[in-house]
This record gives sequence, structure tokens and C-alpha cells, in this order.
Amino acid sequence: MQHRKWPWKTFIFEVERMHEISYQQAIIEAMVEEMRRDEAVVLMGEDVGTFGGLTGTTVGIIEEFGDGRVLEMPISECGFVGASVGAALKGVRPIVEMGLADVSLVAMDQLVNSAAKMNYFHDGIASVSAVYRLWSGFRPSGGAQMSQSNEAMFAHVPGLKVVMPSTPRDVKGLLKAAIRDDNPVIFFEPKGCYALLGEVPDDDEVIPLGQAEVKRAGTDVSVIATGIMVNKALAVAESLAAEGIDVEVVDPRTLRPLDSGTLVASVCKTGRAVLVQEANLFCGYTAEIAALLADEAFDALKAPIKRVGGAETPVPLSPRMEPLVVPGEAAIESAIRSVLG
Amino acid sequence: MARMSYAEALNEAHCIAMRDDSRVFTLGEDIGEYGGIYRVTKGLQAEFGEQRVLDTPISEIAITGAAVGAALVGSRPILEIGFVDFVGTCWDQVFNQAAKFSYMTDGRASVPLVIRMACGAGLGYGVHHSQSLEAWFTHVPGLKVVMPATPADAKGLMLAAIDDPNPVVFLEHKFLYEVKDEVPDGRYTVPLGKARVAREGGDVTIVSWSGAVPWALKAAEQAAAEGIECEVLDLRSLVPLDEDAIVASVEKTGRLIVCHEACTTGGFGAEVVARVVARAFDFLDSEPLRVAAPDIPVPNSLALEAVYLGTRERLLEAVRGIVS
Amino acid sequence: MSLSPRDLKQLFRRLLLIRRFEEEAFRLAVAGKFANYHGGMGQEAIPAGVCYGLKPTDNTMITHRGLGVLLTRGVPVGEIFAGLYAKASCPTRGRHPIFHMAAPDLGILAGTTMVGSVIPLATGAALAARIQGTSDVTISFFGDGSVNRGDFHEGINLGAVRKLPIVYFCENNFYAKSMPLEASTAGGSIISRAQGYGLPGEVVDGNDVVAVYEATQRAVARARAGEGPTLIECLTYRWTPHSTAGDREFARTDEELEAWKAKCPILRLRQQLIEAGHASAEELDAVDVEIRHEVAAGVEFAEAAPYAAPEVALENVYL
Repeated sequence: MQHRKWPWKTFIFEVERMHEISYQQAIIEAMVEEMRRDEAVVLMGEDVGTFGGLTGTTVGIIEEFGDGRVLEMPISECGFVGASVGAALKGVRPIVEMGLADVSLVAMDQLVNSAAKMNYFHDGIASVSAVYRLWSGFRPSGGAQMSQSNEAMFAHVPGLKVVMPSTPRDVKGLLKAAIRDDNPVIFFEPKGCYALLGEVPDDDEVIPLGQAEVKRAGTDVSVIATGIMVNKALAVAESLAAEGIDVEVVDPRTLRPLDSGTLVASVCKTGRAVLVQEANLFCGYTAEIAALLADEAFDALKAPIKRVGGAETPVPLSPRMEPLVVPGEAAIESAIRSVLG
Repeated sequence: MARMSYAEALNEAHCIAMRDDSRVFTLGEDIGEYGGIYRVTKGLQAEFGEQRVLDTPISEIAITGAAVGAALVGSRPILEIGFVDFVGTCWDQVFNQAAKFSYMTDGRASVPLVIRMACGAGLGYGVHHSQSLEAWFTHVPGLKVVMPATPADAKGLMLAAIDDPNPVVFLEHKFLYEVKDEVPDGRYTVPLGKARVAREGGDVTIVSWSGAVPWALKAAEQAAAEGIECEVLDLRSLVPLDEDAIVASVEKTGRLIVCHEACTTGGFGAEVVARVVARAFDFLDSEPLRVAAPDIPVPNSLALEAVYLGTRERLLEAVRGIVS
Repeated sequence: MSLSPRDLKQLFRRLLLIRRFEEEAFRLAVAGKFANYHGGMGQEAIPAGVCYGLKPTDNTMITHRGLGVLLTRGVPVGEIFAGLYAKASCPTRGRHPIFHMAAPDLGILAGTTMVGSVIPLATGAALAARIQGTSDVTISFFGDGSVNRGDFHEGINLGAVRKLPIVYFCENNFYAKSMPLEASTAGGSIISRAQGYGLPGEVVDGNDVVAVYEATQRAVARARAGEGPTLIECLTYRWTPHSTAGDREFARTDEELEAWKAKCPILRLRQQLIEAGHASAEELDAVDVEIRHEVAAGVEFAEAAPYAAPEVALENVYL
């Protein structure tokens, strides 16, 4: 990684210098750069030291920053999530690696009743500037208690912000923004995204929370997708382009606060909406988007809003069952065709 | 028929179930001689003894896990968690254990468990004792979610929930406990998944549940005075959802308002709207609306809590707006 | 560490202030002036004794019965009453019950009402002191009802394994709402759990303000010296029900209550002061008169205080 510090930088042509890394590496880069930038940032979690984290995203961090800023925690989520909230109130900025998203459930009370409400209690005087990193979604051999996408529960909680990036560039820029944010941020990292490669700017790029991005412009139908589903939607869009179907793909990136303007504008343009999420559908996050669009883009809608999501089951183990339970490209394609009627 | 309160109706349901079936027992904090925070378990320990009406320590993980375990081996526990706000402390036991056992054992084991929790605001109980979190439960495959709005439904749905072979989350609105109405005598059940038309009308469909049903009925009455006929649907259970009843009503009225007490964003109203938009799109004459709480924690003072509960006042405006 | 006659008189004043506040708050709640009150009458020696020697930068986090901590750390009487009345003129601005009152400049972080969840939070405040290299100590208050929660075990384990500057302070009043301690807590003892975490534990007469002060000072000194947490169990009794919301507690008997009233922390200190010749009865009575005025003025302040504008409900959900 190259740090350019020339004072005359702004006078040269703005050619963005990029490097290609994986989603997983982008997370490491974001944390390392933020820990260098701000001494208040610390990393907490199980096995985050020399082991390198369950997710492999804390590799090398303890070597650079030492055990004063990389705090290895016992298997005791309710204990250390609570402690991260207390520490944040005193000015520490913890990045908490929760490991599997499923694990957040044992610390649910601390996240929802402590972290999310301390800003409100302190009425602006002290805040919980903490990031909770959750490794979510399907992976082969995960099973019912290791494969969940539980973003909808957190997105219902006032006081939390909820982020779910889909590309290496986004995950790096959004994680930096989350670390700098003064509110508790639940940061979802879908497992399916981890191995994705992509260009990331060499610069210190911070992507503000609450900004959606049109990943592919199109005119016929808006596909609004989150996490790994963004990448599946893009693949479908490319294949349908050959048939002359012009699909717009929009990634909210942040679920709370939601950039409703970009979503509504897209659907007002295309008149058709397909919403895709990895989690099971019933009362999942796309319900919120559907309700929003039905309210604010009603007159523009030419067809019913179609949602694509996981089956109403826990996540099974066998990869053979995956296509039934986790939405794939075929399901997205068929939803697009159905709204095009 | 007898006139009794919502809390008394629930108490009667407990008595009937416990008399009829020795496998039914109840456990929770302060539910014995004390009778529970809302007196729902009043007198049960005197009749059924300490082995079937268990006072437990403040240990939600332990008591929820134990209730799941007891259900797995054939008991029919009714677990009281005083406030739904507390469920975060045992969320893993509810979400990962109770909800998934039937799936994980491929139907060889089941969890016939009822988890009773009080929800809702209106009494000035503040941030940690006033939330409405039904949307969380509805997103969990494997759980059923019941939210009665009347004393008669409270009794009939409770008896149905106890009979159900699945884990049922039974959310009781704390503002309704003292509400009195006619309740049929003896044992009867109200099936889960069957909505109730609380008021018929042809202009607007208002879908609501639990504490919001009285608000909807009041708004409907006020709207009727202005010549607007609202149909009020009380869902009674959110899972299973009586989608057909909602769709049928919207097909008739062409207009939908979903009214609930919980925060708007990510609330269950979104799911109702999304389903109607998918299934009854062509019948909709105007945009479906959600009328629900602003996205804030529940404040303590009654004056500020009224801001959180502003849904009550905004509902009538929404009704007027949607027909104009 | 030993207390001068002046210190003892200061402590007497604080004890009495809490008592008069408790009495008035209980009376007003029963009269329906505000929704509900979780009184701590009879337990005054604990907040008074614990907070007496603290630095303003030391942190305290409370639970339901933490009123005395707010008072002794310097939140004005009128503001706390305003908090109970859910009025605007106090740090909660009527948005939360007073246990969530925050005054970071006085070392007061918002407590929680999820029983025991404050223990990991306070552990985190101590962790921050370690990370930031300050010498601040955190006091985590909780009741006997918390000790069977995961939060208790996970919080104390974390504090102990990292030797954090914290004092775990259990106010054991023998009943969690209606549940007697022996029916809820295995092993028959709270303090014996300290051993499981390798911590020193100390049982203290929670109605003896000097004993509470001294035990706290020992534990705070250990914490400041980097020697880690201490678990203190203070034995005490609340004279009022769990809350004023019509709580009946069958297991608590009148005899038990009278026995504890005989151990009133205020009467004990009063006698001590008079017997040692540090103060006359008249002098102490005059303090009482002064405090009654202060409390009455606080109620007046709260009654006259405005309610916050409704929009306040919407503020500071996010920063």
C-alpha cells in the first residue's frame, strides 16, 4: 500500500490509483489504517490476536499494535460486548469482532438495550462509538446456527446503524466510516463476499453511511439487493442485457439509515422493482424497502413489487439444499421476468 | 359468558389447561404467591402447588433453556418473561434453540412451549419496559407469534397456543390487562392464523393487532361520523399470518393502512404492506400506508411517551388522507 | 483513610439527605405524583459510604436503587426530583427513569434496568481506564437479584482476568423483588463466588457507613494500584417494597423489617457522634431541619419545572 503525502497532490491530474484486493483483505486494511490514524481505536474479540480472528481479518494486527490495543476476549459475548459499550462511553472506539453473526444473539440485550440506548440516555454528552463486525450468511457446512443473516432485527432498533457492504471497495470505505461514526454500528460482512476481488483506491476513501449506490444503471427494472445478492444480481443483469433487458442494480449498502431517495428515484425511473436479500423473506429487510416504495413510488409502479429471499427454514447443512434455501441467480432472473410481464 | 379482564381471562386459560393436562406447568420470576407482575398467575400456586407453578431466579437464559428442555421431553411449559424487553437476555435460547429444535431433529422432537411476555407502552415505564418487538419474532422460522387484543381472544388464543406443538411467542399488551369484556365460559380455542374482522367497512382497510386494535376502532368510529367506512382487521396472530383475510379486505376497499404500536422502520407493518403489494397490487387505489411509532426508544414521561404513541392521533388523519 | 469528626458529620449529613429524599419520594409516588418509585430506604449507608472517598473522575454505574449515588455525587436535589416528575430541568429531561440519569462530569454514567447488565458495562468503563492509562476506578453497583444472570458472571470474569480497576459492589437486601435470596441463589452465598474468579471478597455490614467507607477505600486502593477488582457484598435491607407499583412481598415479614429498622444506619451514626462528643443532639437536629428545607425546596423546584417539549423525545437517538 502506498501513502501519498505530496503537498502538490491536488494539482496533478486526478487519476485514482487503485490496487486489487479481496473483500477480506479490504477489511484488514481499513482496520489497520484506522488504528494508525486514531489511537482511541482498539480491536476486541475472541481469537483476534495471533490466531488472526475466526474470519481471518485480524491477521498481523496484534504484531503492529500490541496487546494494549488488540484485546483478546474470553468466549463471553455478553461480557465483552457490554464492556465495549462501557469503554466507548469513556472515549475508547472499539471495533468488536463478533465472529459469526449468529453469536450476536447471546449478546442481544447488550446490543439492543445498552449500546443502542446509551446515546439517548446520555443525551448527546457521551456516545457509544463502537463497531460490531458480524460475519453473516450462508457458507457450506455451516448449518442452522452458523449461517444466519439477522440484519432485519437490528435494522428495527432505533439507536443502531446497520451496514452491509457488497464489494471490497465498499467494505473498506464503509468500515472506515463506521469506525469514525459516533454511534453503535452493526457491520454485516456476508461470508459469500469474503473471497471477492476488486479494485480499492490507494487513497483514504471514506464512504459515508447512508448512501446507496447504483451499481449498474438500467431503464427497465430496478433490482435492489443487499450483500452477496448484489453480485448475483449484477451477473443476472449482464446475462439479460444480451436479450435487450436493461436492469438497474442498486445496493443500499447501509440499511439504517436507509438512503430512500436513491431507491425511490431508481424505481420512479424504471417503474418496476425486484428486491433481493439472503435472509428468509418473512419480515426481512426487503419488506421495509417494499413498504417504502409502495408509499413513495406508488404512482410510478407498473407492476407489483417482487421480493426474493431465503426459504422460511433454518439454514440446512448440505450444499445440495443451498439452491432451495439461499436465493440464486435463477430466482432473481425469474422475478425480473415476472415483473416485466 | 362472564365479564372479566384480559388478565383474568389469561388466568382462566391457565387454570383450564393445568386442570385438564398434568403436563402443563408454568415458570417465571415472581409468578408464585406474588401472582406475576400483572396478576395473570394469581392463585395458581395455591391450586397447583410449587412443582407446577415455579418461582425462578432472575436467570432468563437458564429458565428459557430449561423450559425448552422440559418441552423436548414431553412437558408443556408456559414461561413468563415479565417484559418483552428482557428477551434480549435469552434471545439465543429463543431464536437458536426453541425455534430450531423441530428442524434440527427433523420432527423427531418438538418444543410445545408458550413464552408469555408483556409488551407495549402507555404506562410511563420507560426505555427498558415499554418496547414492542414482535417484528423480531416474526422473522424467525419456527416460532409462532400471537398478540391478542381482547379478553375473549386472550383466553381462546392462549388455550390454542398451549395445544400447539410449536414454540409460541405470546405477547400481551400491558395496557390491555385491565380491559374488561365478555368472555365465553369453559374451554374453547381461537385458532392461530385466523384474523378477526373487528369492524366492517367498504372504504379503507385498517390492519392492526394487539394494543393498536382499540386505536383503529376509535379512528374508524370517528371516520364513520365523517362518512368514511373503515374495515378494521385484528390479525390476532402474526405467524401464521392470515394473508387471505387481508387481501380479501383490500380487494374490497382498495385502500390499506397498517397501524401498529412498534417503531415504523423494520416493523411488521412492512411485511403486511409488502404482501399486499405483491398480491393485491391491481386492487390498490392509492399507496398503502403504515402508521406507526417514530424511530426512537420509548421515553419515560407520559408527555414524551405520547410522542412515541402519536400513532393514535395520526391514524385518523391518515384515514382522511387516503380517501381524499 | 481514617475519618475525622468532620468527615463523620459530613457522612451524617449525606445519610440524612438520602433518607429525607427517600421518604419524600416514596410519599409523592404513593400519592400518584409520578408513575413509580424504586425506593432504597434503609440502604442509605451504601451510597453514602461508597461515594465519600471517590474522585470526580471515578465512575459509578447504578441500577434500580441508585438514587443515593446520584445525590452523594452531586446531582442537585431539585434535579433528581425533576427526574422523578419526568420534567425537563434535569439530565434526563423526562425521557428516562432516574436510574438512567447521566452526568459524566460528576463521574455518573447511565445505569441500566436490565438486571445485571450494568456489570459488563461498568467493566468496560474500567477497561477504558486501563487502555487510556488513567488512574480512575469504576464502581459497579448491583443487587442480589443480579447474581444469577450471565452478565454477572461474564462481567466479573472479564474484570478479573484482566485485573481491571473496578469494584463490584453487591447490595444484598435479601430479596429480588419477591424472591428470597435462599430460593434463588445456589451455594447459599454471594461472596463465595469471588473465590471462583480468584478475587478478594469482603462481606460488610451495609448499615454501618464507616464500615462501608473503609471497605470501599481498601478495594479502590487495590484497584488503583493495578491489583484488580474486589467483590464487596454489603448486607442490608430495604424498608419499602420493590417499587410503589402495588408490589406485595409475602416472604418479607413485619418482624424482619422491625429488626432491620433497629439497625438504622442513620440512628447508629447519630449515636456514635453524640457518644463520642463530636456533635450534640441539637446540632444534628438542626442539620435535619436544614435538610428538610433542602428537600422541600427540591420538590418545589420539580413541581414548578416545565415539561420538555414533545420534540425532545426525538433527539439524540443518534449523535
